[in-house]
Amino acid sequence: MGGKCPHRRVKKRRYSHKTFRLAKFLVKGDDAVYDELKKPEDEKTALPLDEDLPGMGQYYCLHCDRYFANVAVRDEHFKTKRHKKRLKVMAGSAPHTQIDADLAAGMGMPDNGPKLMSM
Amino acid sequence: MRLEKCWFCSSTVYPGHGIQFVRNDAKIFRFCRSKCHKNFKMKRNPRKVKWTKAYRRLHGKDMTQDATFEFERKRNRPERYDRNLTENTLKAIKVIDKVRSRRGEKHIQNRLKVRVAKDRKEAIKELDQQIHILIAPGATVKGASAATTSPKVPVKVQQESNENRMEE
Repeated sequence: MGGKCPHRRVKKRRYSHKTFRLAKFLVKGDDAVYDELKKPEDEKTALPLDEDLPGMGQYYCLHCDRYFANVAVRDEHFKTKRHKKRLKVMAGSAPHTQIDADLAAGMGMPDNGPKLMSM
Repeated sequence: MRLEKCWFCSSTVYPGHGIQFVRNDAKIFRFCRSKCHKNFKMKRNPRKVKWTKAYRRLHGKDMTQDATFEFERKRNRPERYDRNLTENTLKAIKVIDKVRSRRGEKHIQNRLKVRVAKDRKEAIKELDQQIHILIAPGATVKGASAATTSPKVPVKVQQESNENRMEE
């Protein structure tokens, strides 16, 4: 994601290219990806056609939150070390959340009071 | 006034302190100081960083299940102001704090007890396996008896000294 700037004289600062900075904010957080993976099968919808994304947004890796140009590239990605590492992380326990932080601090579960509206 | 907890280290964040990050899916991450914020930006997992409360809880360093943990919680429903209730709560806070700290100390002492027994066991094992370091191989019980029974062999020293003189 993002990329190196090939024309830069100072090679140390090559990662300051704006596409790289943008990609950093566009990427999904670990917890968002985890929630997406834990969704039941029937809730998952087909990928919508999006002409701005590579391959019309049809070839997607859920674990790494990446779009690919075609099936071959995506399958190649599935074989990479980075993807396999990601699979391992996502197969583990749920990511740390604010509720975990609160519980660790010695607080109880949040109290939302009685339900006012019957569902 | 709501006292929030730090996302990373679970310490209390008082108003006007720390920094807050709102992700583009509207999730809020609060940090008590720049140390925690930097660690978050490095994508570190609080469960794997030893100085966080999350780590200490997970590894049994701190007390985990206790009745005193049920008092402090996020209440997302406004309560009507009641002077008596407030007064009683303020009194109770002190008592509960005392009880909790005492139980926490007890937990640590229990943890140390296990440690002492474990250390002792390990020391005995080490003594068993490494005894040869203390006692030289020739000085075992068998060797000592052999040394006492065998007669002393006289060594000719004078000849050696003569050879040395020749060399000089």
